[in-house]
Amino acid sequence: MDITVIALALILFLVVFAIIQYNKLIRLNIQVDEGFSQIEVQLKRRADLIPNLVETVKGYATQEREVFERVVQARAASTTASTLPAVAAADGALTNALRGLLAVAEAYPDLKSSTNFLQLQEELATTENKVSFARQFYNDTVRSLNTAVKTIPSSLFVGLAKVGEREFYEVDDPAVRNAPNVKF
Amino acid sequence: MADFRALESVNKRKTFYLLFFMAVLVWSISYVAITFFGGTGAGVIPLAVLITLISVWGSYFASDKLVLKMTRAKVIRYEDNPNLFNVVNEVVIASGLPMPKVAIVNDPAPNAFATGRNPENALIAFTTGLLESMDRDELQGVTAHEMAHVANRDTLVSAVAATTAGIIALISDILMRMLWFGGGRSRSHQNQMPIFLAIIPLILAPIAATLLKSAISRRRESLADATAVSFTRNPAGLRSALEVLARDNTVVQARSSAVAHFYIESPLDASAASKLFATHPPIQERIETLRKLEANPLS
Repeated sequence: MDITVIALALILFLVVFAIIQYNKLIRLNIQVDEGFSQIEVQLKRRADLIPNLVETVKGYATQEREVFERVVQARAASTTASTLPAVAAADGALTNALRGLLAVAEAYPDLKSSTNFLQLQEELATTENKVSFARQFYNDTVRSLNTAVKTIPSSLFVGLAKVGEREFYEVDDPAVRNAPNVKF
Repeated sequence: MADFRALESVNKRKTFYLLFFMAVLVWSISYVAITFFGGTGAGVIPLAVLITLISVWGSYFASDKLVLKMTRAKVIRYEDNPNLFNVVNEVVIASGLPMPKVAIVNDPAPNAFATGRNPENALIAFTTGLLESMDRDELQGVTAHEMAHVANRDTLVSAVAATTAGIIALISDILMRMLWFGGGRSRSHQNQMPIFLAIIPLILAPIAATLLKSAISRRRESLADATAVSFTRNPAGLRSALEVLARDNTVVQARSSAVAHFYIESPLDASAASKLFATHPPIQERIETLRKLEANPLS
């Protein structure tokens, strides 16, 4: 009688424990997915800003054809990328190209003081920050998921939850990773 | 220990110890009440708990609306200040929290605060003085500090601290009155300890509770600074914002000690409260800690 009570209590405890660990892994995995879609949302926002920005700069700086082409190409590449490494690579390239475009703008005082450009600049500044914070948040969620996947007790339930380690979002440009605050 | 994760865990641990001392203090004062006052003392305890729970938790649930009234803050929309909303939105993405309500207090003194019972009902407010005196990075640092209060559920922590401190104050107060009017001496109680011995704990306990409450508030401020850095990874922004606040001598007009702990910088005069009763750590100390984080390339 006593033994059955103890055994039942033990089984109940183990079941509850397993459910908690299972749910933790699933929750972390969903957070990683959400983190990645947040990055994509912000990258899309940035891509949408670019045509407008390029047109504005073109109006003042007609002879900088090469810079414009680089931005347009990088934008095209970033909109077609789908896998994580491809998205990250395209993201890095576009960040670089945009930096070149804004450096060009520095040389044209008329452009720099136009209200249209100032507004675009603020939009771009906030979008760059959002992109880098979204990357950072994604990487933090990956960090917690990977820790849970590798450490006991949650690691014991990895097979059951069908959850595995995920990739970090790495941008090749080291300046991008270290400086979330883009100054123009 | 110059990285924000270590700083966060130190501050969380210390909050836990302080809350534990608070619990010990409640227990001690209840013990004194029962030992010296017998049945009447035991009756006072649930009364004090009930009164405090109603008053503190009422204001906890309505905190966003109440504080809006007390500080005369006005909730704004994106169109009213797109730049501010952009900055808040950035920090929201970095923190993974839901978007809070944003409000503006019409006041020349630079300051900001956060409130709301949970992240879903959060509100962060900035004074017009703060918006005028800060650049983008500084504003981002301040926003991150306020969102850190939301993430760390500091409205809840301060409500718990206020509840325990309130219970202690109320029990001491009622018993002291009973002492003066001689009502405490229960005649059926034999072998009673000399009742004047109760005076010492009754005087000391509320003071100790206030000290603990202030210490908890200071811990939560340091924690919010560390969490803010975990959001922005840019200690320099918050540091330079604090330097702006330190240089500024104006004080918030609609100030009161009831809302002091909400602000990023204490809205009360520094001279008014000694260091032990302060709701915020000294601003120079906070700047120093952030400088150490800046020096660490990892953070």
